[in-house]
Amino acid sequence: MPSASQSVRVKVLFFGRLKDIAGQAHEAVDLAPAADIESLFARYVSSYPELQQYRSSLVASCNQEFAPWDTVLRTGDEVAFLPPVSGG
Amino acid sequence: MATSSTDITSLVHEPIDRDTLGAYVRGNGDGAIVIFDGFVRDHSKNRRTLYLEYEAYEPMALAKIQEIAAHLHNQFSIHRIAVVHRLGRLEIGETSVYIVVSAAHRAAAFDACRYAIDTLKRTVPIWKKEYFEDGSSWADGELPPVPSATSAVKPAS
Repeated sequence: MPSASQSVRVKVLFFGRLKDIAGQAHEAVDLAPAADIESLFARYVSSYPELQQYRSSLVASCNQEFAPWDTVLRTGDEVAFLPPVSGG
Repeated sequence: MATSSTDITSLVHEPIDRDTLGAYVRGNGDGAIVIFDGFVRDHSKNRRTLYLEYEAYEPMALAKIQEIAAHLHNQFSIHRIAVVHRLGRLEIGETSVYIVVSAAHRAAAFDACRYAIDTLKRTVPIWKKEYFEDGSSWADGELPPVPSATSAVKPAS
């Protein structure tokens, strides 16, 4: 684990089938400095390998805006993994 | 992103009051309103649907709906907009999304209403789970467009 002074704490949210797989809607996570959204997702894949098959068919958001996978995270960021949307 | 202060944009957990929205949007300077009433169908891909459940990333979904409303005012000669999406369990025939646009002339109202529902279905983080007699599944959806890398965009703050 990164030391408390250097680690980045973010809030992570899951929706739709991703929530079903991860078994939770949200949690706080400590990451290494300079971690990006891709590495955050990879961390969940290592816990829930079933998530990998959805990587190409989901998008991420950071602080409630759609965000590229290489977005570097900072303490306090709110990251969400979003399956294809189906409102309406 | 500011919307006109007279618009209505909301996510609700109870039945949508369609009549009130229609009456609110309609002004004396208008000549038309166009309504999109999306409601729960009793079948999906040849299976009989029992009911649906909608969930949303609520703060982001509301912000995205407000972005759509702001865009409508920029792009079309319209007066007022109401966009309301319902969440939770919905029975067959119940309205899930209701959009009303008023304008002096019909063309702008039609175009804006069509743009609103098409954009909502592509960009607003809301998900629908379909319940059938023999199980349930998340509905197929659309993947919102996202910048592919951060090089061209401002980092998130």
